[in-house]
Amino acid sequence: MNTTLLSILALLIFPGGLFLLGYGLAYEYVDRKLVARFQNRVGPRWFQPLADVVKLLAKEEIVPHGVQRGLFIFLPVAALAAALTAALYVPMAGQVPSYSFNGDLIVTIYLLSLLTICMGLAGANTIDRFSVVGATRVLTQLFSYEAPFLLALLSPAIMAKSWQISEINIYTHNNLWFVLTQPIGFLVALVGLMGKLELPPFDAPEAETEIVSGALTEYSGRGLALFRLGKDVELVIGLTLVAAFYLGGIANPLEFVLKTLALLVVVAGLQSLFARLRIDQTVGLWWRLGAILGLAQILFVIFWRLVLR
Amino acid sequence: METRKSSEKFVVPIGPQHPALKEPGHFEFTVDGEIVTGASVRLGYVHRGIEKGAEDRTWTQNIYLLERICGICSHVHATAYVLGVEKLAGVSAPPRAQAIRTVTAELERIHSHLLWLGVAAHEGGFDTLFMYSWRDRETVMDLLELISGNRVHYSTNVLGGVKYDLDTEKMDAIRRGLDFLEERTHHYMKVVTTDETFLARTRGVGLMTREQAEALGAVGPTARASSVRRDIRIDAPYAAYPDFPVKLITDDGGDLLARFVVRLKELFESYRVIRAILDQMPEGELTTRVPRRIPAGEVISRVEAPRGELFYYIKSNGGEKPERIKVRTPSLCNWGTVVSVAVGHKLADMPMLLAGIDPCFSCNDRMVRINRGQGAQFWSWENLRQYGIEYYR
Repeated sequence: MNTTLLSILALLIFPGGLFLLGYGLAYEYVDRKLVARFQNRVGPRWFQPLADVVKLLAKEEIVPHGVQRGLFIFLPVAALAAALTAALYVPMAGQVPSYSFNGDLIVTIYLLSLLTICMGLAGANTIDRFSVVGATRVLTQLFSYEAPFLLALLSPAIMAKSWQISEINIYTHNNLWFVLTQPIGFLVALVGLMGKLELPPFDAPEAETEIVSGALTEYSGRGLALFRLGKDVELVIGLTLVAAFYLGGIANPLEFVLKTLALLVVVAGLQSLFARLRIDQTVGLWWRLGAILGLAQILFVIFWRLVLR
Repeated sequence: METRKSSEKFVVPIGPQHPALKEPGHFEFTVDGEIVTGASVRLGYVHRGIEKGAEDRTWTQNIYLLERICGICSHVHATAYVLGVEKLAGVSAPPRAQAIRTVTAELERIHSHLLWLGVAAHEGGFDTLFMYSWRDRETVMDLLELISGNRVHYSTNVLGGVKYDLDTEKMDAIRRGLDFLEERTHHYMKVVTTDETFLARTRGVGLMTREQAEALGAVGPTARASSVRRDIRIDAPYAAYPDFPVKLITDDGGDLLARFVVRLKELFESYRVIRAILDQMPEGELTTRVPRRIPAGEVISRVEAPRGELFYYIKSNGGEKPERIKVRTPSLCNWGTVVSVAVGHKLADMPMLLAGIDPCFSCNDRMVRINRGQGAQFWSWENLRQYGIEYYR
């Protein structure tokens, strides 16, 4: 009985559910405010992300002609659920993950990709031309950053000799920060996260000046709110993962806040520095540069483990 | 919207309402994946009947109307008009008035080019450059407000002269503003020519050879970026340009990068010319007398707007109102270059390619004659009036 209650709490309050939603909205605010300040704008007020979500939830949801109705409603829910589920396996706020087993790293990465896949499907589900082009770009981008991102997260796992996020977290906490020993992997992981979240300059899938809102053009109201929440949640989880793997692990809530915020500042800076990459340039960048760097990194780590130790 | 079969062409519509467009226009891009295989343009969503309206107003009232053809290059429209009318009337504005007209025109060019820099950067997803260039553009907007009291429609011109004088205080304010802008423009020049991600979006994109530009009748910076030597300020100097000549800026790149470089270099040239005029501002009257009735005759007046050659044809029958005013704005000349250059590029390049000619929609809207099947439908003024009466009955 007690364990059931704890499980429900873990799902609904912490680390999943309410905590994560609130934290995700807060980080969306920090991100938007930072980018605005970097661009010499005023930026939103602190409750703006929440106000956006409330407004969207209150709006009528229009289901356009030509879509598979069930899928149209189900996809945003699945996307948010996947992102929230992924939170159960990461050391959120420096606490021990709610669930943990050997190999949960792979499961988490799959759960994080589910959001992107849902967005791609949502775009392909409608017959709107902007959505279809956007969906093509979402999936193209997925195939380009996913492999380097995975490789970048694998090298700390190989060093820690474990596929369990909590164990890797403990290992990195007891060793020199990997950002110093494996700077390439850190860079690939962080930029990969930006590609995953479709932040500028990797925002070709939702380039507003070309294809309006990309795959989500036809979404309004609840569906859009859920997708946006899903992205906010994924931002927090992604930053947590990178911080746990490359910034010396997360042992307590203070470390969690400081390290993820520091990463967020870097991400916001990168967002305002570059012009948007075309989708072909994104693919080229990831496969010509990202994948090779990630691969070199992982080969070096394997070599280090096998030969030098 | 019906579901399209895969064998049919996949058309991506941009407009009439689209985030990339600040004014309504309709573009259809036929795409194969991301590659554009065909492009077409349709204008006419904001036709305002200004040419017709001009026939119903007096010569003086028309300045007010014609300034409102464009919100960005309003002064240059009025300049083209008053220069034409003054030529018809056989008078010429005093040198000081001509100098002030030119100063305002060049300030307007600065504000227009900075505005374009921001818009083009935004189309390429470089919002930081967009925000910064628009922030700095406020400087020149403030200067224009200082001179005329207005930020957008300066209404500096009157028939036979200008309304506003420049005193030493205002001249110093302009000089200070220009110093700041010049420093910023150097920075933007560096960003545009060295930022790798931005270069990847502009270099080699929208390549137009000199032959193409000449065949398509391109004007303004778009033509000059393809090394066409065409600038009315040099070819047929007007206002104060004979005394304060500008240097022709061309670039032989022909791509989007060249269009950025040409416009930024023109900014430096504008700064230089304004400073030269302020240093040797002619003394004298601001206006001369122009008769109420303009002698019968017809005249062509050409000026260089920020976007290229602006052409006015003015005909008088000797009355208080013009018989006919015909306006041809530079954007109209440049549409052909977009449509013919677009094919073979990626869909992602289209917004930047569109922005590359610095389009202005409402100023080039024409009456459109639509051919549906065999019979063309053509409505005269009387038909339209009758239709309106019937519709609201």
